Amino acid sequence: MGAGSKTEATVKARAELALNDEFLRKAVRFTTERLRNGKKKASEEHGNWDEWRERGKQIRLHTIAHLDYYLNLFVNNARANGVHVHFANTGEEAVKLTLDIAEHANAKSVVKSKSMVTEELHLNHALESIGVEAVETDLGEYIIQLAGEMPSHIVIPAIHKNRYQIAELLSKEAGYTLPPDTTALAGFVRKKLREKFLEADIGMTGCNFAIAETGSMVLFENEGNARMVSTVPKTQITLMGMERIIPSWEDLEVMATLLPRSATGQKLTMYMSGITGPRRSEDADGPDEMHIIIVDNGRSLQLGDPEFQELLNCIRCGACLNACPVYRHIGGHAYGSTYSGPIGAVLTPSLNKNIAEWDDIANASSLCGACYEACPVKIPLHDMLVYLRRRKVESGNGNKLESIGMQGFATVMGNSSRLGGMLRLGKLGQKLVVRSGVIKTKLGPLKGWNTYRVTPSLPKESFRDRWDTLDQELKQGLKQMEPSMQQRMEELVKKRELEQKEGKGGHGHG
Amino acid sequence: MADTHKQWLEKLEAESRAKQELFMNDIAAKLRHPRMTQPPQHPYRGAPDFWKAFEWPEEERIKEFTDNFLSVGGHVARLQTMDEAKEYIVQKAQEMSAKYVVRQNQPELDALDLEEALTDSQVSVWNTDPEQYWRARAAEADFGIVIADHAVAYTGSVTVLSAENKGRSVSLLPTVLIIIIPVERLKTRLGEVLETFDQAGRDQLPAGIHFISGPSRSSDIENDLTIGVHGPGIVYALLVG
Repeated sequence: MGAGSKTEATVKARAELALNDEFLRKAVRFTTERLRNGKKKASEEHGNWDEWRERGKQIRLHTIAHLDYYLNLFVNNARANGVHVHFANTGEEAVKLTLDIAEHANAKSVVKSKSMVTEELHLNHALESIGVEAVETDLGEYIIQLAGEMPSHIVIPAIHKNRYQIAELLSKEAGYTLPPDTTALAGFVRKKLREKFLEADIGMTGCNFAIAETGSMVLFENEGNARMVSTVPKTQITLMGMERIIPSWEDLEVMATLLPRSATGQKLTMYMSGITGPRRSEDADGPDEMHIIIVDNGRSLQLGDPEFQELLNCIRCGACLNACPVYRHIGGHAYGSTYSGPIGAVLTPSLNKNIAEWDDIANASSLCGACYEACPVKIPLHDMLVYLRRRKVESGNGNKLESIGMQGFATVMGNSSRLGGMLRLGKLGQKLVVRSGVIKTKLGPLKGWNTYRVTPSLPKESFRDRWDTLDQELKQGLKQMEPSMQQRMEELVKKRELEQKEGKGGHGHG
Repeated sequence: MADTHKQWLEKLEAESRAKQELFMNDIAAKLRHPRMTQPPQHPYRGAPDFWKAFEWPEEERIKEFTDNFLSVGGHVARLQTMDEAKEYIVQKAQEMSAKYVVRQNQPELDALDLEEALTDSQVSVWNTDPEQYWRARAAEADFGIVIADHAVAYTGSVTVLSAENKGRSVSLLPTVLIIIIPVERLKTRLGEVLETFDQAGRDQLPAGIHFISGPSRSSDIENDLTIGVHGPGIVYALLVG
């Protein structure tokens, strides 16, 4: 798993690699644009989008706030349906359970439909280590599995491959040369995977939603492979994140309204399946034995954390990726983890509880708030990115140079005459480097900064000259802030102040 | 062997039940409330109220369903009687020289007597012979024929429920899928169908509930739309009545 995907240590290095790949950059931009426009059109056409978002958020908030009740209800109902339910606190436990089930089923092969959880666990590799073939059956996932790579987009995993590369990969698998033609390539995959579905001992799925009141699990897909995987093999294993719960089928209408429109701009995916237990004894298809493994793997760390609990509301639509200017430039692999884009930048360090190692992806964001705007359940991702950066600095893992710079900044900014002096100095100094209104030099004090950005030249009318007007505009803007956001921010500030008074650090993760 | 497997499952269940308590207690502790055992108030259940009041008249439902289904590459025919549906199916089977046909075992389909009418095809009726491996029968079929349990105009979707006489494979494995929709089953909103599952309750639900909104599709190769990746690539919705 992941050959060549984590060779460079930092997001910066990986992003440089991505930025060098012309095709990747174009493909990512084209795809994200297509999905983003699709979402825009679908949400406008549907109408009252903000009311639906708000409803989606409320349902998710309510479920997570009472997760012990709803998850327990789901488990009891699923068991009553004849499902074998298991719990895994860690990824390792989930893998161990899966391998145990595979061994008892004497499995030679497993067919899988798309599941981010199994990506998280690197399950394919584990299955292969006990001699079980694991086959991804989603067209895009199948392609990147053959290439030995990780998905670069949550919805379109092989976004980074062109059809010539795909034809080469599939030709190797076929043993003869396939033309670089989409229909021919998809036709080959259909035939090849048909055999795999029919001979597989185990079908493995993820879970988009789990309905607490009936113990059912719901899958959204376009290809039909998730239906194959959950209909044809004798044994079904479903891996679900512990937070996938919604209370009822009625609530599913809201999720089914938000998820496909946000992901691909569709009114509904071609297939939406609700599966309630293994096949009934009189049925002639469906699995004989069905297992659901409920996975924590870092999720419960967000529970009770006022800054990050809302992460658990995520419905994995990928809209924040398509909206994010950074993702659109560097693509998914640059994030170096299972989840990419703004949601990945927050989710990965949160699930891993290791800020120091992963936090550099929190910096792969311009904090513009496009992710929040795009999110169908209104997760304040841009706020969370700021919290992450703050926690990183507080834990002593900030960027040393940046800290020194910031101290210098504070020294200058703390004293207005000193600032005035600096500005005059700067205006003088910049005459040497300004070209057509911007500074592109990579020399001297702006070297690091200008590798990625272009510094605007200092304006004739300075920021300080315009401060009074801006100050007023800003205050006006704050008044117009959405009440719920303002309330949340105020609560956070109050809580932080209280904790500081009590002498608690309080910002450690978990 | 059977015994060992059963014992192993029992062992797993015992472990699972023990762990369930720890798992839920841990969640409650992190949420900083005592374990909840009573259903909480859920004031935001389901779609917003304005949406629940929304309903199209029948002709509008038929028009919207048709537009939606066509827009994703499906085919729609508006027919008056089941006899017309039979004619339509026979004609399509001849056009495409369907060799193998599999259909659900329902009285409405029995009445069409396709076995007699489709002289050049071998028609199998789902789950009528316990010796058959029915998944393979469906996989080899050129045509699968089903009757919709529900349909939704707003999303252009059809719902099929599994049962002894209604296989999940029949709407999934054949190359061509034909869905007969009695128009009185065509609703406006998704929620109208979903709420029937809440009303039915856990023990009345079938193993498989499938919403189908058109032919199987993918855009995974260079964003190029491909039809019929795993499921049926050609889907006919016959609105009857």
